[in-house]
Amino acid sequence: MINMLQLAIPKITGDLIDALQYETIDTKGLNTHGIIIIVIAVLILVLHYLSRLYLIGASNLFEYNMRNDLFKHLLSLSMKFFDKKSVGELMALSVNDMNAIRMAMMRGIIMIVNTTFLLIASIIILTRTIDVRLTVIAFMPFPILIIVMMKFGKIIHTRFKTVQQSFADLTSVAQENISGIRVIKAFAQEEEEIWRFKQANEKNYEVNMSLVKVQGLFLPLIHFITSCSFLIVLIYGGNLVITGEITLGNFIAFNSYIGLMIRPIAFIGMIINFIQRGKASFGRIEQLFAEPPAQEFCAVDQVGSVKKGHIVFKNLTFSYDKQEKPVLKNINLDITPGKTVGIIGKIGSGKSTAANLVLKVYSPCQRGELLIDGVDILDIPAQILREKIGYVPQENFLFSDTIKENVAFTAQAVSEKEIIDATKTSQIYDSIVSLPKGFDTMLGEKGVNLSGGQKQRISIARALIKSPDILILDDCLSAVDTKTEQRIIEGLKQEMHKRTCIIIAHRISTVQYADEIVVLHDGCIVERGTHESLLQKEGHYHQIYQQQLLNDKEVL
Amino acid sequence: MAMNGGGFGHGRSLGEEINGKVYDKQLLKRLIRYAKPYWHWFLIALILILSISAGGLARPFLIKTAIDEYITKAYEGVITTGHAVSGVRQLGIIFLMLMIGEALFSYMKTYLLQFAGKKIIMNMRNQIFSHIQKLPVVYFDKNATGRIVTRVTNDTEALNEMYVNMAVGFLQSIFEMVGIVVLMVVLSVELTLVSFAVIPLMVIITIYFRKKAREIFGEIRRRLAAINGFLSEHLSGMKIIQVFNMQKKKEEAFERINHAYYKASFKHIILFGVFRPFMDVIRLVALALLLWYGGRNILGGTLAFGTLYLFIEYTNKFFQPITELTEQYNILQGAMVSAERIFSLIDYAAEPDVLARGDLPQKLQGRIEFKNVWFAYEGEAWVLKDVSFTIYPGQAVAFVGATGAGKTSIINLICGFYQHQKGEILIDGVRIGDIPKLQLRKNIGLVLQDVFLFSGTVEENIKLFDRNISSAQVEKAARYVNADNFIQKMPCKYQTQINQKASVLSMGQRQLMSFARALLNDPAILVMDEATSNIDTHTEKLVQEALAKIMRGRTTIAIAHRLSTIQNADQIIVIHKGRIVEQGVHQELLKQEGLYYGLYRLQYQHQVMQ
Repeated sequence: MINMLQLAIPKITGDLIDALQYETIDTKGLNTHGIIIIVIAVLILVLHYLSRLYLIGASNLFEYNMRNDLFKHLLSLSMKFFDKKSVGELMALSVNDMNAIRMAMMRGIIMIVNTTFLLIASIIILTRTIDVRLTVIAFMPFPILIIVMMKFGKIIHTRFKTVQQSFADLTSVAQENISGIRVIKAFAQEEEEIWRFKQANEKNYEVNMSLVKVQGLFLPLIHFITSCSFLIVLIYGGNLVITGEITLGNFIAFNSYIGLMIRPIAFIGMIINFIQRGKASFGRIEQLFAEPPAQEFCAVDQVGSVKKGHIVFKNLTFSYDKQEKPVLKNINLDITPGKTVGIIGKIGSGKSTAANLVLKVYSPCQRGELLIDGVDILDIPAQILREKIGYVPQENFLFSDTIKENVAFTAQAVSEKEIIDATKTSQIYDSIVSLPKGFDTMLGEKGVNLSGGQKQRISIARALIKSPDILILDDCLSAVDTKTEQRIIEGLKQEMHKRTCIIIAHRISTVQYADEIVVLHDGCIVERGTHESLLQKEGHYHQIYQQQLLNDKEVL
Repeated sequence: MAMNGGGFGHGRSLGEEINGKVYDKQLLKRLIRYAKPYWHWFLIALILILSISAGGLARPFLIKTAIDEYITKAYEGVITTGHAVSGVRQLGIIFLMLMIGEALFSYMKTYLLQFAGKKIIMNMRNQIFSHIQKLPVVYFDKNATGRIVTRVTNDTEALNEMYVNMAVGFLQSIFEMVGIVVLMVVLSVELTLVSFAVIPLMVIITIYFRKKAREIFGEIRRRLAAINGFLSEHLSGMKIIQVFNMQKKKEEAFERINHAYYKASFKHIILFGVFRPFMDVIRLVALALLLWYGGRNILGGTLAFGTLYLFIEYTNKFFQPITELTEQYNILQGAMVSAERIFSLIDYAAEPDVLARGDLPQKLQGRIEFKNVWFAYEGEAWVLKDVSFTIYPGQAVAFVGATGAGKTSIINLICGFYQHQKGEILIDGVRIGDIPKLQLRKNIGLVLQDVFLFSGTVEENIKLFDRNISSAQVEKAARYVNADNFIQKMPCKYQTQINQKASVLSMGQRQLMSFARALLNDPAILVMDEATSNIDTHTEKLVQEALAKIMRGRTTIAIAHRLSTIQNADQIIVIHKGRIVEQGVHQELLKQEGLYYGLYRLQYQHQVMQ
């Protein structure tokens, strides 16, 4: 519609000029013509407005929906996936790539539709109302244009790829240099590195210029070809007017039409660019969508069977990747409901992996079994399993939200009282109440920054809120000093008796009160027993104990 | 050691401050300085552009001439058809020449501008990169690698845009607009006034929309930042979300944030959905006015058709540079943000250093003296407290202590990575600050726990891309430290490509490579942070052998993890919470039954059993 109206303007102008030339018009007619143009202009305004709203709006809506879907998809992916991908990469996908797709849709598709339609419509109008021969001849450069664009497009594309590659090389030289800057400095290799960077930089410059050589030719050539149409209209059309075969008005109208055609073509380079970027982004996003969600094979009849919190590791061997060596080797551990088990060991001994397996963040895939209340963990849906587990992670990850939202971090409905109770148990209630906004205090960048110990206690309250059957403390007390640790443990003792507890730590003081302590070393259980019995053994546990005593010692 | 201190926050707040500010004289001046060596190219490009613009303006004029001089006259019978046809043909030839000229000129212009722009960017990148090499280690503690890389690559790319499109394009737009006005006025003042009757309206509308647009852009940016913030937080906390079964709730939360962004961007669509067509309407109103007024004049016989045509064309053309100017404004805005970031890096003070001095021999002897040294990475959080010791040339010294006791900090100070706050550090009797960094480090061979590898061949990794070191030297060093054996077994031997992660190499093999690396400088001082990880017994034997060889005749400072290292040390220094608590040789210290005795029993004794 808009295009039609747009196309009407040159025709009206042309008619008007004809009328002027043949002097078949008076001032009144002139007025009406002026008014007609203005009416059409207003119509164009309204229609253009609506079309922008719908066409561009549609691409925005598309972006909105796709981004929602993408985030939803991300939520369903397994931790294995997140181990491989960096946060930055995923953010780039959901922000920049989405943007590129929208741009490609908005600019590219709309422009293409517009141009094609404009082209067809104007050819029809021109042949019908003005002159067939002139139209045919004037539009002759257009097929040539398409051929040139396709040819050039290919060359530009290959060169563009080289440019991207050399840019990536340049980036990686810089990236490696900066991550290894200490080595570079220590070996006084700065000059050599600068030389190496200069090489890459020079190379990048050269391939860029080789792209410029072609790309620079592209636009002038297109302009030249399209200008040929003007030239044809001038000479051939001019002759037709002189010989009286077409009117002067039609001649001017024809000029305007060509002008209308050429404008979008001038943008074609830009549009191709947008579309290509959009295509690349779309490819990346498609790849992400193809990533299968965390798998669930569950026997339906056993759903909801976690009740008591009886955890059994049976000859369990686990590795994150089939090729890698196992992180846990032949683990046998029976945690009866209500009991507290402490797992102690060095960094990398496999402590946290054990917690990750109970949480089903990773699924045991090697040998052996992990049973919860007698059911193989593989047969319990992750959601139902996790509903029964309170988890305090190693790093106290809280969200930029109110304290209340951070504590009531569960899908279930939570009452005010439950929040208060949980925070009291984790010894943080008083601190929260003393804040000016209390439970409504915002955390994170926009709000208050709590100390490590305070965050830790909120994180504990978060785990307690749903009154879970199983409580896992994953090395979460290592960040707080020993005194705070003891206070927290005192507060938790009551809670621990009510449920099955797994406490992971590398400090003796954290686990010493556990019913059973397991010492992990290199993925194997090397010792087990109570604090006292393990100390008597004078083995690994004893050694850790001695070392920690030594480290805490104040020497003057 | 990595700290996110005040520097980080400072950089960020600076980044935000400049977001809104486009015109900054100081910045522009600096940017222009970079373009100076290429000013003649820019000048030529400008002349070319002006010619192109003039050509563009001449085109409608040619058609006007065709209409007025030939077509109309032929129609009115003033001139003969033949005369008119040949006249039009002549104009056509001029037109063709203009076209060819334009194509040539614009190709040359693009080439020149790109040439100058890319050269400027290349130089700038070299400058930034060179400066990075001189920055103190503290800078790298405070700024993430990715951010610094962005300064070198992407931010400079944004400036390229500016140099290529902005600098000359800006003048072109203005020239075109002025040219059109001048031509129109020359042709007919009356009609010019008629055509531009709509301009006040246009200006008012533009100002109004600009204001609105700024508000909406601000909102869009805020909403987008919210999405970024949400994503960064929730992708990092994905495990917590999944473990707490919060997927559904978080999905909804994201939808809300995303929707706010969608709504804001929709406002933008609505605004521009009105603005752009509005401008079109104004253009058409101007056209209608022209036709109406011009038509009356034609009827009155005071105006030629061609002139009317010319005015229609020029009025249309007049509106193009306006949109281009807004585009250029956006480019400038982006470039300014990047420029500010780049300059803040370049302005960051380089590592304090002294000029090379002749009175110091190139080869140091390796005497190291700490006199009451106090050191903190930040503020008053002392990591080393009143540390004093002397290491004589050729001595092997082992530092022993718990994690975080301050052993690594001593190494960092000896390498000159950080500056101590109190006391004195003397190398061969010269204050460490008075020794040029390059000279100091050339005399130090550093072997770290974590062997950093670059993408490149094995050989390149051993010689760290140093072109002055030959393959033969690399092989010799590798053979000396028992690394040759495994390298010979690799697919392409010394030319085997490895990447940063280098999963093909074992921990022990990397260690051997780093020995070879350290050996190539023939350093007077060998500084080692021994690897704690388990190395298989065979490699361990090779490592120990190599170690004994390379320590010969050098001052060796080791953060010891191997029993053999401490047993053979001439001096053992025990560090506890930043202080030296015990000092002596193995047997002596054992007899004291102090901290060393305890540490020895815990950390080293089981090595005897193995």
